[in-house]
Amino acid sequence: MRLFSSWKSGKWKSRAAHWRWEPAARLLHVGLLRCASLLVQGDRRAEWIREWRGELWHVRQACAPLGRAGWSGELEVTQFCLGAFQDALCMRRAGRQPRQTVATMEGSAWQCILILVAILAASDGIALLLTGVRAELSLWPREVTPNLVLIQGQGSNFDSQPSIYPQQFKSWKERKQKYFDGFAFYRATRENVELGSLRGDRQGETTWGVAHASTNIFALLGLPVRFAEPDRSTDGELPEIVLGEAVWKRQFGADPRVAGVVMRMGTQMVRVAGVVPDGSLGLPDKVDAWMLEPDAAMGTGSAGYVIAHLTPMGQAEMWASCVNITVNGPNESQDYLMGIALEEWRPAPGTLYGFALFLALLALPAITSVSLGEASVNPQKTSWGRRLNRWSFLSAKIVLLLAIVYFVSLDLAYGLTGLGRERAVYVQLISTFLMCLFGLQWVLKDQRQRCPVCMRCVTHPAHVGQASRTFLDWNGTEMMCMGGHTLLHVPSLPTSWFSTQRWLYLDTSWEFLFAGSTQQAP
Amino acid sequence: MAREPQVSETKLSHTAALILQALDAGFVYGFSIMEMTGLPSGTVYPAMRRLERDELIRSHWEKQSIADAEQRPPRKYYKLTAAGKATLDASRRRYPLLERLIPSEEAKTV
Repeated sequence: MRLFSSWKSGKWKSRAAHWRWEPAARLLHVGLLRCASLLVQGDRRAEWIREWRGELWHVRQACAPLGRAGWSGELEVTQFCLGAFQDALCMRRAGRQPRQTVATMEGSAWQCILILVAILAASDGIALLLTGVRAELSLWPREVTPNLVLIQGQGSNFDSQPSIYPQQFKSWKERKQKYFDGFAFYRATRENVELGSLRGDRQGETTWGVAHASTNIFALLGLPVRFAEPDRSTDGELPEIVLGEAVWKRQFGADPRVAGVVMRMGTQMVRVAGVVPDGSLGLPDKVDAWMLEPDAAMGTGSAGYVIAHLTPMGQAEMWASCVNITVNGPNESQDYLMGIALEEWRPAPGTLYGFALFLALLALPAITSVSLGEASVNPQKTSWGRRLNRWSFLSAKIVLLLAIVYFVSLDLAYGLTGLGRERAVYVQLISTFLMCLFGLQWVLKDQRQRCPVCMRCVTHPAHVGQASRTFLDWNGTEMMCMGGHTLLHVPSLPTSWFSTQRWLYLDTSWEFLFAGSTQQAP
Repeated sequence: MAREPQVSETKLSHTAALILQALDAGFVYGFSIMEMTGLPSGTVYPAMRRLERDELIRSHWEKQSIADAEQRPPRKYYKLTAAGKATLDASRRRYPLLERLIPSEEAKTV
């Protein structure tokens, strides 16, 4: 009415002038609509602009028909176009509705699962990024050669005292043995290592425990040398050393391209040939690096240790992980030695994890009730579908939690490359136990506070009753499902007539209270 | 527990009731409602978005062939839904002057 009346009033007099700027006005109006359309979500923009341009055509026909319009008519059209901004903002706000849907997920089963999945992805991602964890999972063998013994003098008993001299070792090796079919010798020394040659500074000088060992020691132990360059010839080149795992992680940052690095060790230059795991067999003496030498080069140096592999006949002589050995020495003398079984004492991460989980399951009843608290006040029968949903949700939570615990414990134990392998085992065991214990406690507590109908967490706790009247009347905490399905009554003090929590299923007469937050039951 | 539509109990603002009344009177697109009610475009179109969101009105596009025949762009038409009619009845009881402002016999095509 307003627009027509303004047109009928005949205020436009300068039609000739209007002819000149009408195209500019049209351009301005279309530009205004285009600008406003930028506020609308991309998927709705095309239809929105189509409607407004269609309307603009009709508004222009009514207010500023070609050749008959004036300033006032164009102003009316411009005002119409400016209204498009308000409409666009309205559309934009309406497009934010899905965010409200996300907000209504608060406390829902899906939110819980999504959070657990996110934590799992993060812990798994961190495990993949940490070189220590990667090395633990993929590099080292879980089983070494069985039936190995460490031979030492009986006087040294189980103390780690080197007691076998290279001459003895050579004589045993040259003779045909009945109880052993393989020998390897090593002795540990302390050597100054100058890492400055590869770091370019003097700060890299340190002292390592270096084991001078037979060339067959790793083959006998069954340990692979990682990162070795298979095609490299050693003839006429520098002596080679094999780094221990701890040194490789500590000094070289677990760099897989460590092979070929040259450094000064004592008075000679040596080249790194690869990396082996350390500590796995509990070999005596701290060994940071191994220098493999032929038997002839061992000379008549200090005493060391001999590792031997038992034949079936030798295995039969084993008693309580030990075997007594009598050796005929020079001048018809006899040496009494002892062979102590070398066993893999470090279990794989999976084995440790299973053991810690078992311990946590045993300890769980001590810190929380294992009941799911599904008793109800009114005789409400939960459908099989809802029960299935509830149990599926519980199972999903447990599976995700256990996976998270596995990866987080690996991150904690093996993420720090400076931590020794022995300590890492304990870190993994303890962290897995604690996380499983308190994680499962949370899972059960969370499950007990999930509405059996919609699986949302009950909220708005309210204390009902008085503590002094516990044995006379109901005293406890009442929580409600914001979907309007149930109320949860948790007694403050379990009594013979109200020992565990109970659900009160609400009928449809309560719906109006929850009209704004009602959730579709699954 | 599904939410039941509470159409007849929806409380509309005066503007929204006016737009519903205009639609019922036969003013079936935004510009005609603007003309009929005297409301600016920045009020009418957002209100119609909200009414459509609440399923009180629904929209459809005019056939392209009709628009082509008349050498103009197609336009979007709106009409009341059953819920919208019920809400309008409730609004008429709330705003008795609504029918006097826009009588149904004024329905026409602009």
